[in-house]
Amino acid sequence: MPVRVLENTAAPSSQVSGANSGRSSCQSCSLLGVGQAFSGTQNVSSVQKDEAWRVNVRIQGCDLEHGYLCGTMEALNVPMADTPVVTFWEGEIVDTKNYTFFTGKWEASPEDDIRHWSKFPSFSPLLGQVEADGGKSLDLSNYPYIFMRWKEQYFVNVGTDCGLTIAGFYYICFSCSDGSISGFYYDPNSSPYQKLELKSTNDGRSGFSFSSYQLQ
Amino acid sequence: MPTPSASSDPILDRLASSDCAVKFKAIREVKNHIIGNRTKKHSYIKLGAVPAVAAALADSDPNLIVQSAAALGSFACGVDDGVRAVLDAGAFPRLIGLLSAHDEKVVDAAARSLRMIYQSTLAPKYDFFQEETMQFLLSLLESENENLTGLGAGIVIHSCKTIGEQTILCHAGVLEKLTSLLDSSLSQRDASLESLAAIIRDNPAAVSEFVELHGGRALHSVAELTKDRYPRTRLLACLCLISVKNSSTCYLQDIGIKTKLVYILLELLDDSGQVGDEASFAFSSLIAEKEDLQKLAFEANAINKFNCLLQKHPVQPKRLEGVFLALADLCSKLECCRSSFLSLQVLNLVVDALTHEDASVRTAACICLRSVSRSIKNLSAGRFMNERVVCPLVQLLSDLSTSVQVAALGAISNIVVDFMPHKSTFIECGGIKELVQLTKSMDSSLRLNAVWALRNMVFLADKICKEGIFVELTASSMASLICDPEPSVQEQALALVRNFVDGCVYSVEHAFAEDGIILDAVGRQLKKSTKIEIGIQGMYVLSNIASGNEFHKEAVMQLLFPQDENVSHSFFEQFLQSHDSRLRTAAVWVVVNLTFPANPGAFGRIVNLRSFGIVSRIKKMVNDSCMDVKLRARLALGQILTFGDS
Repeated sequence: MPVRVLENTAAPSSQVSGANSGRSSCQSCSLLGVGQAFSGTQNVSSVQKDEAWRVNVRIQGCDLEHGYLCGTMEALNVPMADTPVVTFWEGEIVDTKNYTFFTGKWEASPEDDIRHWSKFPSFSPLLGQVEADGGKSLDLSNYPYIFMRWKEQYFVNVGTDCGLTIAGFYYICFSCSDGSISGFYYDPNSSPYQKLELKSTNDGRSGFSFSSYQLQ
Repeated sequence: MPTPSASSDPILDRLASSDCAVKFKAIREVKNHIIGNRTKKHSYIKLGAVPAVAAALADSDPNLIVQSAAALGSFACGVDDGVRAVLDAGAFPRLIGLLSAHDEKVVDAAARSLRMIYQSTLAPKYDFFQEETMQFLLSLLESENENLTGLGAGIVIHSCKTIGEQTILCHAGVLEKLTSLLDSSLSQRDASLESLAAIIRDNPAAVSEFVELHGGRALHSVAELTKDRYPRTRLLACLCLISVKNSSTCYLQDIGIKTKLVYILLELLDDSGQVGDEASFAFSSLIAEKEDLQKLAFEANAINKFNCLLQKHPVQPKRLEGVFLALADLCSKLECCRSSFLSLQVLNLVVDALTHEDASVRTAACICLRSVSRSIKNLSAGRFMNERVVCPLVQLLSDLSTSVQVAALGAISNIVVDFMPHKSTFIECGGIKELVQLTKSMDSSLRLNAVWALRNMVFLADKICKEGIFVELTASSMASLICDPEPSVQEQALALVRNFVDGCVYSVEHAFAEDGIILDAVGRQLKKSTKIEIGIQGMYVLSNIASGNEFHKEAVMQLLFPQDENVSHSFFEQFLQSHDSRLRTAAVWVVVNLTFPANPGAFGRIVNLRSFGIVSRIKKMVNDSCMDVKLRARLALGQILTFGDS
């Protein structure tokens, strides 16, 4: 979701497809497919006050072969905005084939990476291997968590002069068990460790339901 | 006044004259009139001049025969009606016979004429499987006469279509003979290249034989010809190399040759003649389905090249079609190509072409639009869902050409995925009615693509949109599509139902309209189909219904475990044990939703599921090899155990 800052600094956005010959690939998880919706909060706490924005996320595209995911993020009670603010984001799935735990861009150093990933309890068992070889030898295909980086690309429904920035990105940890999402926003110019907490939603259903499309 | 009879036409009189000099002059006059003049050609054909000219082939005067053969060749050149007239006049077998004449001039004239005929698809198919005809072909290729070898190559180009034909030509040593022509004159070189491509296309065994010829020198000769000074030779050499490259994974796979081919073809696009027209089709065959080559082409600035070609006016239909198809292949996989395409405003030119008068151009424009609209980023931004794009596409749904209709449906299938719930632009353009109409087409490819487009349209659609489509389509039509004779239509129809019954709880009611005819059809299909994809979609239909209210859940139970059936043959049990993890996952989701806690009937359903052996099956699945299956099974078992385990 967009984050409030006084200045609007645009970080360079590049799509790097690492050609690691790792054997692992991300196994599919039906709760992380297209059409799935999540809702929760992003805490924008600072020294002045605690603040939490209601956030909705919808998955729109998923290409596990290329470690790609994308969707929209809607922030509902954003100060200074009259209506919900919707952004489109693209995600990199850490599968050690297309992407590793090391970001290598967006002003995130390897230390920033380790610091943020380590905030997820499910990352602890992987820390040693990641520090040793970047996690290249890890087999994440049967690990019940999916790690991602989400980078917002554009505002869907407001102009770029709305006083918000999408310069940073999120470190994301998705639980395959219950479909919950934890994330931390990273932008050198914003408050650190803004936390994103989302749960899978079922649209008032008495159970889980799934839609699908298939591009030609 | 009386109409003059045909026999009174002066030219026909002279063509039929018994005076050789008169006849000679008449034939030469006809030939001179028709060369390069289609209108005159058609006039003489209508006049009935061809049989008269052909009759001269039987004359004893070699000069007369040569003129006759030359005129017949001109009639056949580039005009199918001309070829038909020549064949109908019985000239073909006579020309074949003249290849054995003593007079060299007669042989040359007959060979040139036959080459013209073999450039048309109307020419008789050559039978390579007859020993006698194969020997004749070999004698042509071995000849010192350039016209005869050219004819031999032309026969191969025309008639070599199947793997069987390719194989028998290889066995007969034709590859070697054609290769020896690569050092000859320009026309022999080009004919050789083109016929080599015909023999090795999509045939790994033929490719292997060709590559090994003379220890690889044959392949090297072809590669050298990509630098020839004549554009057509370069194009034909590229086509040969593309055939070699596409038929195997071990020849010509280094990045150097790939890059070279990309650049040569991009340069050949500048040729204003036939070579430029065909270069884009060659480019498509080079990069189709190959992400690495599309990347190379992108880095060679191919998108901008094609954009520049499109800016020149006018672009004639063949070239336009080729450029659009090349752009379609280029944008088929890579997002960077689509971004470049959209930022260069090429989309406007493609949209304009949707109303082009040539059906091939309309089809190619749709295929191009389909490729570009695979960009989820741009679909989400609403880049395509606007009147300028949608209205002409909807118009094409009633095009007279089925190819155009299918291609338009493919583009629409993507464009309706705009992640907006209302789809108002498409509705306002009258698209729904057209799509529904096509789901009833006798042509299964139209039915398939129409259902596919509807399936994508209903994805995340809101209540109003769903209602509009449902009323137009009707429950009974959907039931018919679920039981369509084509499995691919069945699959898309089930996916359509799945999307209909997702969303708010009210949406589940769609499955129960008209006395539950849709649900009945789903049940029948699941019982009899062996196709995995149909099982998957069907399971998600039931899973979505089972996430509704108590009535919905019980209806699913009834469908899975009918009162009157032997449960040991239940399809559901088989799905839970499927070798495909996607089907196992979908089946477990049904159980999860049937046993969802906080529902009054959950306990009763668990008792029933246990008695049918489903619970014990779920217990085994908590250690499934697939993580998704394992986690869903644990979720289901956790719910079941909250009611106690007896």
